[in-house]
Amino acid sequence: MAELRVAGLVHVYRDGGVRALDGVDLTIRAGERVALIGQNGSGKTTLVRHLNGLLRPTEGRVTIDGTDASSLTVARLASRVGLVFQDPDRQIFAGSVRAEVEFGPRNLGRTGTDLRTAVTEALQASGLVGEEGTNPYDLGQSRRKLLALASVLAMQTPVLVLDEPTTGQDARGVERVGAAVKAVSEEGRTVIAISHDMRFVAEIFERVIVMRAGRVTLDGSPRDVFAAEAWQALRSTYLEPTLPAIIGHRLGLGSTPTDASLVEAVAGAQ
Amino acid sequence: MTIALSGVGYRYAGATKAALLDVDLELRDGEVIGLAGASEAGKTTLCLVVSGLAPRTVGGQVRGTITLDGEDVDTWPMHRLSQRIGIGFQNPSTQLSQVTDTVFEEVAFGPMNLGLTRDDVVARTWAALETLRIDELAERDPRRLSGGQQQLVAMAGLLAMRPEHLVLDEPTAQLDPAGTHLVADAIRRLAADGASILIAEHKADLLAAICSRVIVLDGGRVARLGATDEILGDPTIGELGVAEPSSVRLSRAVQAAGVQSDRLARALADG
Amino acid sequence: MAGGSRLSEASATNRGVPDFLGRPGPSAYHRLNPLTKATLATVTAIAAVVIGGLSGPTILVVVAVIGPAIAAGVLGRLARMSLLLALPIALSALLVNVFFFPGGETVLLRIGPIVATAEGLAFALEILARIMAISGAITLFYLTTRPADLVVDLERRGISPRVAFVANASVQTVPAMVERAAQITAAQRARGMDTEGSVWRRVRGIVPIVGPVILGSIAEVEERTMALEARGFTRPGRRTLLWAPSDSGGQSLARWALIAALAALIAARVAGVVG
Repeated sequence: MAELRVAGLVHVYRDGGVRALDGVDLTIRAGERVALIGQNGSGKTTLVRHLNGLLRPTEGRVTIDGTDASSLTVARLASRVGLVFQDPDRQIFAGSVRAEVEFGPRNLGRTGTDLRTAVTEALQASGLVGEEGTNPYDLGQSRRKLLALASVLAMQTPVLVLDEPTTGQDARGVERVGAAVKAVSEEGRTVIAISHDMRFVAEIFERVIVMRAGRVTLDGSPRDVFAAEAWQALRSTYLEPTLPAIIGHRLGLGSTPTDASLVEAVAGAQ
Repeated sequence: MTIALSGVGYRYAGATKAALLDVDLELRDGEVIGLAGASEAGKTTLCLVVSGLAPRTVGGQVRGTITLDGEDVDTWPMHRLSQRIGIGFQNPSTQLSQVTDTVFEEVAFGPMNLGLTRDDVVARTWAALETLRIDELAERDPRRLSGGQQQLVAMAGLLAMRPEHLVLDEPTAQLDPAGTHLVADAIRRLAADGASILIAEHKADLLAAICSRVIVLDGGRVARLGATDEILGDPTIGELGVAEPSSVRLSRAVQAAGVQSDRLARALADG
Repeated sequence: MAGGSRLSEASATNRGVPDFLGRPGPSAYHRLNPLTKATLATVTAIAAVVIGGLSGPTILVVVAVIGPAIAAGVLGRLARMSLLLALPIALSALLVNVFFFPGGETVLLRIGPIVATAEGLAFALEILARIMAISGAITLFYLTTRPADLVVDLERRGISPRVAFVANASVQTVPAMVERAAQITAAQRARGMDTEGSVWRRVRGIVPIVGPVILGSIAEVEERTMALEARGFTRPGRRTLLWAPSDSGGQSLARWALIAALAALIAARVAGVVG
């Protein structure tokens, strides 16, 4: 599948001279489920936009499966890295849900049964089965967000990148996104998600990368990143550990980032 | 200064179904009321109706009565209502005027429209910027800020209006946890000043932290209305598309696992 | 829950009007009142049309365009921009008149049946001088004045805040749409839309962009309107201005003098004294 490698990545925006990335080194192996967290302006979106070529490095390199990303056009990279943008209304253009979801895979050359299957699966994952003919603007804002997700899921790329997939979603919507992430990961595909929802991050992802001021400050499992030793680093980028992590520490049970891990630790201590 | 809705219903222009039905709600001074529910349950519609934008700017039909301190506001024009009731939306780019070159002028935009003295306008603007800790952004071009920063600027613009009532439709959607805290803090201070606030949010922890009461909509009707702990602690709200606060979810996980621990119970109670 | 301190007491420091408002320009010319600069530009442009001959417009260019441009330190940019602006018209005027001027007798150049005449050239130069005066005047104004400053000045003088807003907002429309289009293009490229291929591909690529740009812009208008209403935009009457460009009696006099001079010039032209 696809291994992503980022080496010495620096990005300075031409417009304004902001140094959004200040030397990032990362390797993301195929099939990993990675959450990218950090305050607004820490460089998360800038980083992920390098993965599909929308942004090119000022310094450093991005390689996908050994190939230098700068040697590939964005359209070519789109067959390997699918990116779901935060704002669905900056993406949706078709008159029907079906047409919208078909756009991506069609661009990648899928036709016939392949195309139909990809579309159906994507609609199932996002809970939009039955809405094929609906005009996207007749769906509410949060379902349009799920539509944007579906339209990239249908591309079946080895790497899936999600920019804030749960903002604006109700409880059911968050569940769907979580389930979709797990399903994609089970197929051996890589998932990278930018999120502010610490609960979502702790529950769904196996690796958490914390960014601050254009650099990676923490990189580990949720257990590592939400452990008490890391709290100061988290707080310096204005993030808070999850409630179970805080309580687990208070009770002297080590690092318990999720409800389940805390319950397990409490039961174990008895 | 109480806003009272009595039997309020609303239908969008050209719609066959009512978006709101039979809503009774009172917003009292100094109260922060949370508005929860599944997407498309009517939260945004209720925000538009309370603020008066529906039907005045948006069109459509309102049934029932809406009163401000006992006075029916049915005939009030929008600019009269907007001086008493402010409203903020999710999308920061539509909330900025787009005609100002600095954050300072952007936040001052509202107070400038009110015909206050220049000193008043300037004082309110600095107060709003400082409350949200964005005073260092005062000279920046609002159009070049990140989405989260823009949302804070929009919020500051509303705060500077010193509204008696504030309706907020998912104001923290684009914000990181730090920004969310700032907004939550600002809302508390506004309420301490005597304003009443209606805030629509999906973040249950945020609602639990700042709201004294919560109203849950389902299909345009009021499904639940009561004290925050009672409503958000109710195990059936999941069916209504409302997330549980972290503490509630954790307690349930503990119970479900059959684990008994006094220390844990105490830690949860302490919050 | 922290006890809230009152928002109304938040600003313990009295910070006053920030000094970055008004943004004084880099030169004395920049700092002239926008209406003064606008008057100069308009009078120059109209005078250039009214005055006949070559020397008249040329003097105008030197005195009313190049002179102030040097004072304002924008001569280089002015030259580039005004030439660019004038180029299409200038080129066609030159060609038409040099080669096809009726009554041209003194032949300069012959290309087959087409003849370039000295009279044609002389006339072409006159037209060129006029064009340079007009485009130079407009460019000078554009380079030394921010549109928002002019609008604020007009608002101070009495135009409605709502009209002022529309004037400012319309300047924004195109950049905002361009930005929106750029974002949407990025999203579509991320879904495999090829923007780096054949012309046909690129043309086809416009559809997935134009739709969201237009629909999105329209959808935004309603939300924008609501947000403005919520900030007291529709309250009748004037609003408090934080600052306005400075003006002086001298400038006011100068503006009227320019207008009077223009009127006199037009009268002289009509009377046949000039032109």
